[in-house]
Amino acid sequence: MLWFEREVVGALIESPDQPLRSAVESFVDGSLRDMPEHLRAGVAAESVLLGTYTAALRRAGRLPRGDPRALVARLEGWETSPIGVLRSYVRLMKSLVVFAENELAPAGAA
Amino acid sequence: MADLATDVLVVGSGAGGAITAAALAAAGRTVTVLEEGPWVDADALDPFSLDEMVAKYRHHGLAAALGTPAIAYAEGRCVGGSTEINSGLYHRLPDHLADEWRSTYAIEEFSPEALGRYADRVEHDLSVASLPGAPPPSSAALERGATKLGWRNVEFARVFSYDRQGRGTKQTMSRTMLPKATAAGATIIPDCRVLRLVRHGDRIVGARCRRTHPGGGVERLVVRADHVFVCGGAIHSPALLQRSGIRRNIGNGLKMHPTIKIAARFPHPVDHGDVPTHRITEFSPFVAIGGSASRKGHVAMALADTGAPFGEALADWENISVYYAAIRSDGSGRVAALRGVRSPLVTYSLTEADLSRLARGLVHLGELLLAAGATELHPSVMGGTVVHRLDEMGAWWDQVTRARANLMTVHLTSTVRMGENRARTGADSFGRVWGYRNLRVNDGALIPDAPGVNPQAAIMAIATRNCDHFLAEQ
Repeated sequence: MLWFEREVVGALIESPDQPLRSAVESFVDGSLRDMPEHLRAGVAAESVLLGTYTAALRRAGRLPRGDPRALVARLEGWETSPIGVLRSYVRLMKSLVVFAENELAPAGAA
Repeated sequence: MADLATDVLVVGSGAGGAITAAALAAAGRTVTVLEEGPWVDADALDPFSLDEMVAKYRHHGLAAALGTPAIAYAEGRCVGGSTEINSGLYHRLPDHLADEWRSTYAIEEFSPEALGRYADRVEHDLSVASLPGAPPPSSAALERGATKLGWRNVEFARVFSYDRQGRGTKQTMSRTMLPKATAAGATIIPDCRVLRLVRHGDRIVGARCRRTHPGGGVERLVVRADHVFVCGGAIHSPALLQRSGIRRNIGNGLKMHPTIKIAARFPHPVDHGDVPTHRITEFSPFVAIGGSASRKGHVAMALADTGAPFGEALADWENISVYYAAIRSDGSGRVAALRGVRSPLVTYSLTEADLSRLARGLVHLGELLLAAGATELHPSVMGGTVVHRLDEMGAWWDQVTRARANLMTVHLTSTVRMGENRARTGADSFGRVWGYRNLRVNDGALIPDAPGVNPQAAIMAIATRNCDHFLAEQ
């Protein structure tokens, strides 16, 4: 995973349980690696662009540093963007995390 | 570089490939099956689980046909192919489609009666059975809603065998036709990707392959063959042919059943280990309604589709099941092998009529689920209204747009259509690729159009028919 993808995944995981967080990250990493190359290239390019944009927002003081909730709020905004590839990017990352977190959580965990 | 020789080479071990291997090996031919994916014990993993996705799905299930919107699709990539991961639902090709396709594509020996005879054989060989006893709650909900609304519905048979206690075992290819093939002398080589076929004039003389060994070593392999059957499915069969320089009417005309979903919350627990077997046929062939895998992860993903907070609903996930409306699409797509890239580019264009049909399917599905007693419906539409009452559902008509609908499919067909109409087909009536004497396709790629029902039964019947024709020709 690229650094921004790791940050997005970390922000989207809700559980504080470290082994579960690591397992979800590992699943998402494996899934992204296994994507068709042209789709992976597109996702990687978006990650670089969005990561750069996010860093610029932080430098400008428009996005708090070290606050996963602020990044999640930004992702939610992108999820309804008129730009299709941006919507798809957020849906992809969110689907992977939501699926893995709920499948990998121990039975009975909230 | 290792070298093998065989009479018949079968590329792919799913519904088409396994049936081909079993039929030809039983007839005394020397058969070698090359499967790109690994061999995975059919009993080792829970159906529809994350572990199964990792082990048996191509790309972890993360493939998509590009377009507006992109449509996610899933395929198996293991010994047994997609039969190892699907729901096993079995539906014969409707007679009117056989008649229509026979006429449109000039397909020989494609009458409903002829296909019916092959379907009889498949059903005898595989064990096709209905669920014994009462349906589980998720399936009963479909039946209950349809009965209240006066809609036609059926409980589909599945490629399953059931023991006296009613426990079902899916009759996947790794449990059925592939063991038959090996018992008759066929060789199955897993973890072996065919890079390209080797052409010589109007014949294919072999295949160049890359085999990965369990320890991680990689070996180049050349398999020489007298006859080649490509059975990699509607995406990978045309991609292999294109990589091999065979392109005429190959890869265009991709068809699918675009599918939209609802996560439905009931006031009582529903089952989550399997998929519902009831289907609503009231709107066939253009809209089919049924149920999907509904493990906790699937429920969470479906709830997340609206973009609204879903924590409260997810806490009640044991009362939630996921259902779908699938359409017969007027749109079409393409599969294109790209030079130097392992995966083909897949595109699909939905028409405006398709979008309208998806909206209609979503609304019908919502009506049905409310009639069945659901109390809350979450559509797979970004910003879609979470519905509790019938009068709230009107909003969905305007919300199913290219920008907001979240679509997927598991049925892909029609990229090497069969028939004698050479302008519209890539192979003859029995799967022989035009221009090549000993190259055949024998899988879902041959089916000329999306059938509006699960295509597995049609794939199996047509594959059986084509093998008979091949053997009669020799």
